[in-house]
Amino acid sequence: MSPGAGPTAARADVAEPVTVAVIGTGAIGRDLVSKIDRSPALDCRLVAGRSPESAGLRYAESLGYATSAAGIEALLAAPRPFDVVFDATSAASHRDHWPLLEPLGTLVIDLTPSRIGRMVAPTVTGVSAATGRNVNLISCGGQASVPVAHALAARFPVTYLEVVSTVASDVAGRATRMNLDEYVATTGHALTAFSGVSDVKAILNISPAVPPATFRTAVHARMAGADPVQVRAVADRAAEEVRCFAPGYEVTACTAVGDRVTITLQVMAHSDVLPPYAGNLDIINSAAVLVAEQYAARPDRMSRTGVAS
Amino acid sequence: MTRVVIHDPTLRDGQHAVRHQLGLTALRRYAEAADAARIPVVEVGHGNGLGASSLQVGQAAAGDDEMLSTVRDALRNSRMGTFMLPGWGTSEDLRRAIAHGVDVFRVGVHATETSLAERHLGFLRDAGAEAHCVLMMSHMATPGALAEQAARAVGYGAQAVGIMDSAGHFLPSDVTARIGAIAEAVDTTPVIFHGHNNLGMAVANSVAAAEAGALIVDGCARGFGAGAGNTQLEVLVPVLERSGFTTGIDLYALLDAADLAERELMPAPPVTASMSIVSGLAGVFSGFKHRVVELSAAAGVDPRDVFFELGRRQAVAGQEDLIVDVVAELSGRGTDG
Repeated sequence: MSPGAGPTAARADVAEPVTVAVIGTGAIGRDLVSKIDRSPALDCRLVAGRSPESAGLRYAESLGYATSAAGIEALLAAPRPFDVVFDATSAASHRDHWPLLEPLGTLVIDLTPSRIGRMVAPTVTGVSAATGRNVNLISCGGQASVPVAHALAARFPVTYLEVVSTVASDVAGRATRMNLDEYVATTGHALTAFSGVSDVKAILNISPAVPPATFRTAVHARMAGADPVQVRAVADRAAEEVRCFAPGYEVTACTAVGDRVTITLQVMAHSDVLPPYAGNLDIINSAAVLVAEQYAARPDRMSRTGVAS
Repeated sequence: MTRVVIHDPTLRDGQHAVRHQLGLTALRRYAEAADAARIPVVEVGHGNGLGASSLQVGQAAAGDDEMLSTVRDALRNSRMGTFMLPGWGTSEDLRRAIAHGVDVFRVGVHATETSLAERHLGFLRDAGAEAHCVLMMSHMATPGALAEQAARAVGYGAQAVGIMDSAGHFLPSDVTARIGAIAEAVDTTPVIFHGHNNLGMAVANSVAAAEAGALIVDGCARGFGAGAGNTQLEVLVPVLERSGFTTGIDLYALLDAADLAERELMPAPPVTASMSIVSGLAGVFSGFKHRVVELSAAAGVDPRDVFFELGRRQAVAGQEDLIVDVVAELSGRGTDG
């Protein structure tokens, strides 16, 4: 994220940093560590993975952070609970992790499509964690599509929504590949929850193209009386809001033929560690860091966590 | 003589040619005819498989459940097959298909992305269903890479593994090299070949595949399929027999099934139209044809240029939304990126 862009920077100089741990050292975990490293509001105390040889752990070490290959056990063995834990593992792992983390009073930010916590898409739901200790970031396709789907449904009589995302092969890690079913279910669930449209479908393509394809999401909708100019205006306004925390988010095409509308969104990554085409990881991580930063800015967080730091 | 097991995806891959609009009566009639011809496996479903009915690739006239139960009822001897792309269909779709009596599942992945099928192949293996893995757009990978991916699929539980020539790009020597490499890598696991006819090579490629060790070969009645169509089944079977392979299929009943398919499934049998040749040369999935032609005409651009540009961008099946961008770019309007 570029300095001075949006709400992250605006909240970055709040009182005292919160203590943070990251579990999962794939591409998502690595980019998270780099974003946390840049945030004055977040103090990274531990990065945990499962494999001592992982590039993600080595990267965290190179930035001077404590690391462990003991996975969730390393987090539980910490002398004091962390204020915030980012879970960048897999949906199945998160289902195991949550019951262990819940009693600690930690704010858990879940980057897997586990569908356990309260779903957050910052421009639609806000980023407050007031109603729960588990915040779910839905999916990369959900982060890309929900703002536009929400805006469309608020303005037009949408009867069907469909979201097709394409992710470059080399930034789709093993957890993503094993979680396709959860991705489809969780993204669809979020579309319905935030648009009110019950008939929805989510699809994920993994593209092996060389050079790699930039992360893109097509939002297809059926609605009566779709005017392309109005649709484009609604999409552009939604995109502008998202750019406050994910500056590489753009509407690249917009068509309306008959009752069928297609809006194509592209996300370029603004990251220290990711290639520009990895917008899928950038948008979900930017949203996650925003949640943590806003939590850090909350005056009541000490009493909520019970942690005197 | 070597036995080749014929899979017939007329009622699945043929859907691409009619925008996934095959009705239940047509499905039943063809399934009965294929069954009478003793075709070993009759595959049915949306063209892009279970759960794929969508605006992106086309909404089907009939739901997965209806299609599967209709064809199940029509088959006495033939086994029923279906197809699924991870990221489009899910394990829940597989579970429902098992309940409908599907015998053989094909899990499709792009040629270099076998790991996407790991979970679904595992799910099917645990459920006791027969699961195959097919590597699509296989012209985009070397024989060595395909062999490695095929071995990985077997490790995940695939009971047969092979390639689709999704763009109809191969010549027989390409097929020989790839099937040979895969057969060597997977030892006794049956190897699959599925050809497309964009360059008029589908039957020749399929015979080359069998000669290189493929034990399962796909063909569709009248070549029914996307673009220029697939390997024409009623040509493939007698040509394989003349080449020294057995299929166990009844020739006259097969010809009857093909005639019925021409009458009842398709507005016209596929031909190697100019656009299909371009699609094959460009290495673009044949199923893109309708949308490329439509969107190009609306924007006043040459669809041949669109195909070659899509090939340059290495579009894979499922990325139909990319056509909108390419057309807009070639017509010099509508994109910011």
